Amino acid sequence: MDYPVWDVAIGGSILMAVVAITHVIVSHFAVGGGLVIAVTETLAVKRNDPHLRELARRSSLVLILVSTVFGAISGVGIWVVAGLISPAAIAALIRNYVWGWAIEWVFFIVELLAALLYFATWQKITKQAHLALIWIYFIAAYASLVIINGIITFMLTPGSWLTTRAFWDGFFNPTYWPGLVLRTGITLIMATAFMLLAATRLQAGERPRIARYLGLWLVAGIAIAYAGFRWWEGALPDAVRTLFLGETPKLATLAATRHFLLWSLTAALGLGVVFLLAVPRAARLVPALLIMAAAFAFFGGYERLREGVRKPFLIHDYMFSNGVRVDEIPALNTNGILSRAGFGAAAAAADPGVHGREIFRAQCASCHTIDGYQGIRKLLPDDAGMIAGVLGVMRTQGETIVALPPGRPIDKSQLDYPFMPPFVGTEAELESLAQYLAGLAAAPGAALAE
Amino acid sequence: MNPSLVPALDPTPIPGPAWLFHVLLVFTFFLHALFMNLALGGTLIAAFAHLGGGSPARLALARRLMGVNGYGISFAITTGIAPLLFVQVLYQQYFYPATILIGEMWLLLVAFLMLGYYAVYLYKFRGAPARGTGGGGWLAVAAVLFLAIAMVHVAVHLIHVQPATWARIAARPWSILADPTYFPRLLHFVLAALGFSALVMTWWAVRQAGAGRDVELNTAIASHTWKWAIVTTLLQVVDGFVLLMVLPRDVLIGLMRGGAATLFPLGLSVLLGLGLLMMLARVGNPVAKPGLVTGTLGGMILTIAVMAITRHQVRELYLAPASAGSVIPVAPQWGNFFLFVLLLLAGLATAAYMIRLVMTSPAAGREAA
Repeated sequence: MDYPVWDVAIGGSILMAVVAITHVIVSHFAVGGGLVIAVTETLAVKRNDPHLRELARRSSLVLILVSTVFGAISGVGIWVVAGLISPAAIAALIRNYVWGWAIEWVFFIVELLAALLYFATWQKITKQAHLALIWIYFIAAYASLVIINGIITFMLTPGSWLTTRAFWDGFFNPTYWPGLVLRTGITLIMATAFMLLAATRLQAGERPRIARYLGLWLVAGIAIAYAGFRWWEGALPDAVRTLFLGETPKLATLAATRHFLLWSLTAALGLGVVFLLAVPRAARLVPALLIMAAAFAFFGGYERLREGVRKPFLIHDYMFSNGVRVDEIPALNTNGILSRAGFGAAAAAADPGVHGREIFRAQCASCHTIDGYQGIRKLLPDDAGMIAGVLGVMRTQGETIVALPPGRPIDKSQLDYPFMPPFVGTEAELESLAQYLAGLAAAPGAALAE
Repeated sequence: MNPSLVPALDPTPIPGPAWLFHVLLVFTFFLHALFMNLALGGTLIAAFAHLGGGSPARLALARRLMGVNGYGISFAITTGIAPLLFVQVLYQQYFYPATILIGEMWLLLVAFLMLGYYAVYLYKFRGAPARGTGGGGWLAVAAVLFLAIAMVHVAVHLIHVQPATWARIAARPWSILADPTYFPRLLHFVLAALGFSALVMTWWAVRQAGAGRDVELNTAIASHTWKWAIVTTLLQVVDGFVLLMVLPRDVLIGLMRGGAATLFPLGLSVLLGLGLLMMLARVGNPVAKPGLVTGTLGGMILTIAVMAITRHQVRELYLAPASAGSVIPVAPQWGNFFLFVLLLLAGLATAAYMIRLVMTSPAAGREAA
């Protein structure tokens, strides 16, 4: 709202989803891969097993090429995109959790150095020294997950932080431990998915044994992830659960996402049991790719669900997805949203004809494009009065939210538009926005009015 | 200027005194600058080394540089995360608008970095280091991409310190290239990157030659990189003065009237720059003067550290009109800060342990991992 609006054709949330999901797939592999490679090489040394050693060696190349390059850079990419599409939220998060991120940075440096040294010293240092490197790698990588999980889960369930504003209250929030168990399982699933690729390059005679070995890791990961997921669902506030669970979920698409992710997990389990445990000779490239696809679908589905149930907030009960904070609704209703949106106010001052458009950009454009992703035009009734009526209800919704007792999760199921931030601004701004939207509805296919 | 374009300050307090974040920002930027210099300057020198086929010494230099950069780029990224974090703590209301105003380029930076890094790996696995010849094209691609990243960074920096330009930049983003300080500033970074990488490579080659390893080859490499260091440092001294002269008048006056706080680092870096040039010019054959080479490299690192302070002060002077009167609320989380320091020390100790472990546990054949 305060910041200039970055126009991105495909929609900011789609861009964020693409960057974030590809990053988390790789970053979770980086954690779980650490454990599986460490155990694999330890077993290889103990049993003097050259094939397990070869699996660890090949997997370490995948780890370097995928994690230290793609993982590290896409992690920066998440910050870049978040800063472009949700600067207010990332600013608030950083102000609360900068020491958490600083600590994660320390673990990341250790993790990176360990990975690079580990990969570079195959056949160059003693077995024990080499094992020490991969175990240090895993400990540092897991520690970084322990930290970032606190910040991610905080955004959905800030818990008592809402009243205390204390770092650790937000960090060890109601979904922290379930989230950690779930993500621990996911790290093992991702590790198996990527290491299966390395395993397909092993000697044909050894592949079945290695496939079975990886199959056990996969099944363990799936079991832990499933337990963590169900625990996570149970730890959500009732007001959030009713959105996607129960006989009549409030949002059918989120309920469908939940079904999708659970079926994907089931598919990964089925494929793993058949191709890795029951008939491991069949564990060639295509089954490996199918297992990968099912695993990624599950993880992507979970991230989608987690983001979806947070709507309309970026930080639950604190900041809406358009950067408006709950505590500033009264001031914005009095002074107007353009009192804070400097770029919008400047444009509207130069040309009063774009007043409504600038209110749209300040308040709605973080989620809605005009005709693209979540395109607003196709959602609009073509009657200006009806649009103003809906906006009026959304404005009242903001007043309802402000009147709720602070520190308790807002029961979104009691709201008329539970997934939308309220409309904030003056009556005149509401009218301007309604006219602008009615203009859009009346001119199908026309470009954004200049 | 239109001050209302600057977003309102987030009411959330920062979890430590501002001076602490200023110190952390400057220190971590300095660390980042060292690795970034190697990544950018090293890749450029390696790409030039391949021009015209490249002599054996130049190809060996390119291989060595890219061997370092396999790690160096990773650490340039990792050490870059910390200043990116701290700049957001202190300058969020300036930094985010600057990135949004050139959003496409800021986002492309991530793609440039990824493609550049993979190009370096392609050179290592498919070029001269693996096959004895070729791969210069991959290096050229990486070098161009890393240069583009430097250009984006300089643009974001200049936009974020000058809110008065935001309305113009919003209408014409490319007009940032017309800022009189843009190219001198970019050149300042690129020359530092080249000079630092050249000195690191000279130092390495001199040490290798001193230990009796491939004396002829290392002497040739040292002589080549020493010349890079001389030329770039000479140009740097000139460019440094040009940059100083094209700074906005208020910023320049602020620097000159800032007393010892600004004049000492600025004066020291100018003296260090001139001193480096004299040391470089005195040595014809670096292999014969290993002590001087080490001293020059040390002087270069010190110069970068001091310049990081001046750069930060220049930022503050640029922002003085826009930030006048605004006070960032503070609510220190000292426990978390000390936990960070403790873990940082433990992390550094672990890093030292790992490096020592690798150095002291050589093995071959069946004994090796």
